[in-house]
Amino acid sequence: MDFELTSEHLSLKESAASFVKKDHSFDRLRDLYKDPLGYSKEAWKKMAELGWMGLIYPEEYGGLGLDFGFVMVLLEEFGKGLLPEPWISNILLGGNLILAGGTEPQKQEILPEIVSGDLMITAAYLEDDGRYDTNFCATSAKRQGDAFTISGKKIFVLDGLSADRFIVTTRTSGSVADTDGITLFMISQGADGVKMTPLKTMDGRNACTLELADVSAPETDIIGELEQGHPVLSGVMDQATAGLCAEMVGGMQAALDITVNYLTERVQFGKPIGTLQTPQHKAADMFIQKELSASSVYYAIASIDEKTVDMASAISSAKAKCSSAYVQIAKAAVQLFGGMGFSNEADIGYFLKRAKVAEILFGDADYHLDRYARLNGY
Amino acid sequence: MKVSYSSDEEKFREEVREWFRVNTPPEVKDQTLGGSSLNHDPMIKWHKTLYEKGWVAPEFPKEFGGAGFSDTEQFIFNYEYSHSGAPRLKTKLVSLGMLAPLLLQFGTKEQQERFIPDMLAGKTIWCQGFSEPNAGSDLASLKLKAVSDGDDFVLNGQKTWTSMADHADWVFMLVRTDSSGRKQQGISFLLVDLTSPGITIRPIEALTDYAPFCEVFFDDVRVPKENLVGKEGEGWKLAGALLQHERLNAFPIGELIYSIDTIRKNAEKNRYRGKPLIEDPGFRKKLAALEVDCNSLLYTFLRILSQLSVGSAPGPEASFLKVYGSELYQRVMDLNIEAMGPCGQSWYNLEALDNSVHQATMGWVNSRSLTIWGGSSEIQRTIIATQVLKLPRK
Ligand SMILES: Cc1cc2nc3c(=O)[nH]c(=O)nc-3n(C[C@H](O)[C@H](O)[C@H](O)COP(=O)(O)OP(=O)(O)OC[C@H]3O[C@@H](n4cnc5c(N)ncnc54)[C@H](O)[C@@H]3O)c2cc1C
Repeated sequence: MDFELTSEHLSLKESAASFVKKDHSFDRLRDLYKDPLGYSKEAWKKMAELGWMGLIYPEEYGGLGLDFGFVMVLLEEFGKGLLPEPWISNILLGGNLILAGGTEPQKQEILPEIVSGDLMITAAYLEDDGRYDTNFCATSAKRQGDAFTISGKKIFVLDGLSADRFIVTTRTSGSVADTDGITLFMISQGADGVKMTPLKTMDGRNACTLELADVSAPETDIIGELEQGHPVLSGVMDQATAGLCAEMVGGMQAALDITVNYLTERVQFGKPIGTLQTPQHKAADMFIQKELSASSVYYAIASIDEKTVDMASAISSAKAKCSSAYVQIAKAAVQLFGGMGFSNEADIGYFLKRAKVAEILFGDADYHLDRYARLNGY
Repeated sequence: MKVSYSSDEEKFREEVREWFRVNTPPEVKDQTLGGSSLNHDPMIKWHKTLYEKGWVAPEFPKEFGGAGFSDTEQFIFNYEYSHSGAPRLKTKLVSLGMLAPLLLQFGTKEQQERFIPDMLAGKTIWCQGFSEPNAGSDLASLKLKAVSDGDDFVLNGQKTWTSMADHADWVFMLVRTDSSGRKQQGISFLLVDLTSPGITIRPIEALTDYAPFCEVFFDDVRVPKENLVGKEGEGWKLAGALLQHERLNAFPIGELIYSIDTIRKNAEKNRYRGKPLIEDPGFRKKLAALEVDCNSLLYTFLRILSQLSVGSAPGPEASFLKVYGSELYQRVMDLNIEAMGPCGQSWYNLEALDNSVHQATMGWVNSRSLTIWGGSSEIQRTIIATQVLKLPRK
């Protein structure tokens, strides 16, 4: 057992931290929060130049071929500054689906474009009435000659507003909640029959609803094999979830640091409120939750790199923990800031909102507890 | 002990319920879950509707424009009102809810006659100027200075978090008239016309992205001494009496029950694994647990009310209604947003998604403020420990 980072990991951590510090700030976040897109394309370009888009993709597709520990390090730093750029959706969801399920020509065509920052891609898998279940899929794809006709509706497509391509789950056989019979298709933004409705999320980022009405897709746009979509999606979702957890741990750390700092500065009753036992105990509880979350996430990340048998269970365990811990920490932080905590003039409230979105994203605590129980045979 | 209602009381309940069903305009109904704000104009219109019916201040005696309800009727009224999904009157929260009872107790006859009728009619909107940048929980350390000059006080300093100041006509405030003694001494209670020269109001945006409160700056503002309530230096005592009203008012129990009903409706509508979410055993238990907690608060509320009716003023016990009620409300908002599934991430999207989604997310964020204003949960717990349980102070 070894929870230590290598010097290569530490050096990425340093450059990510310096990027967040120099190219980002809470004032920038405040501006982007009011922007429909919620992030900046220049920053995205810059991140691509730093080589971060290809972090885990193999070198033959222009990537760096690094292990998942690097994802953790990068996202933890992003989480500390609440960096809104859509790395998780593009790299860990959209691109990763191509990598995990795509044909060789698809990988060669798409991945280098993602690595260069020129192509935006995300996944569309949530539906009305499906809650967080990735197998719930009423969107149908019917074969017509060489092509398929896709109809249905996807909700809360993460960072969908700026996506050039969507990887969409469709049902090619079986009934609505079957795990078998799901096929992944790649659909272009603006294709005939694709209607997009922009949505804003609580953390100021973007999502969209996709309504697909008889969208035609050639067989060559199937990602992976017909009817074999769900296992691919499931494996990719695990990685995206683990990455999100790392981001959440970074957020917890920053929320704690900012709060501890406030407790030492804010004076009431003639002394800093940090000298009072009640705020002290609240801060101590925040610390405990953050530490427990971090350990669960480190374990989950290591299980990805080592491909352990309990990997999926470790990831659900980490997400269940982080989903409740991050919100709990952020609520305590807002409370300790008093009136200031409820105002957009302090930075701390942005953690509350990100914590809520992150709690829900890729399944809330209940979803992952249920999944954990199933994976562990009860 | 008696827990059931008489047939007259049940008839009264029906009448109130029916009136709200018929008279609550759609633009104000089901808009303020979690205590979120309603736009000002519809709120004023709603105030006037209730005023015409004579129901703005059911808790008031008839000679002051109240409805003349008995205690039980008042409870039934408030319950049915909030339970109907009609918004509470923010326009009366601090005026009729706090200042008017104080004026009836400590104000002069002229002050009562001058101010209370306009509060009832919704002609004057009031706000509460207590908190300052460096005086929140430690309210007594407030610094805004009022210096005597002939028939006036001259005010200099700043208030903050003043709810609705940008829509208000008047502010009642605590000011420092003397800084020589203990900090609780030398505080006075003053009524100030917000159109007075020298006042600047700056709205502050909250986590909800609208501005429910403001900073208010005072620069040589002249206020006639006749606007003093009670005696000079008595402000701290008056503030104490007023805050008890704030705490008792803070949680109309019907609103809590309305929120729990809202969860139920949402969980009946939203589906999970092929069935309504409400049929999921895990979810059912969570909802039932909240309802049980809500019942215990309801019965406690009624118990305290029945003690009040025999002449006792709300004491420090009111603190525990505030602390438990606000925290319960937060848990209710937690479960409501949970019922929304992925839609719980939504922010505004009023055109694209159902109003129930907007109410859930806005209500969740807004509920975080409930344990901060009106004395934070931490401060309330200290009050319970020291004033109810009489534990020694350090
Ligand atoms: C939505 C909203 C509306 C408001 N409206 C008004 C209004 O209309 N008029 C008005 O005058 N004010 C208003 N306020 C201000 C409110 O009364 C104050 O925010 C509150 O009193 C807390 O003060 P503070 O913000 O300075 O926090 P602080 O006093 O700085 O407290 C910060 C944290 O420290 C804790 N703390 C402080 N002292 C102690 C202690 N002794 N023991 C344990 N914990 C402690 C607090 O509980 C809190 O968690 C409003 C606030 C909000 C959020």
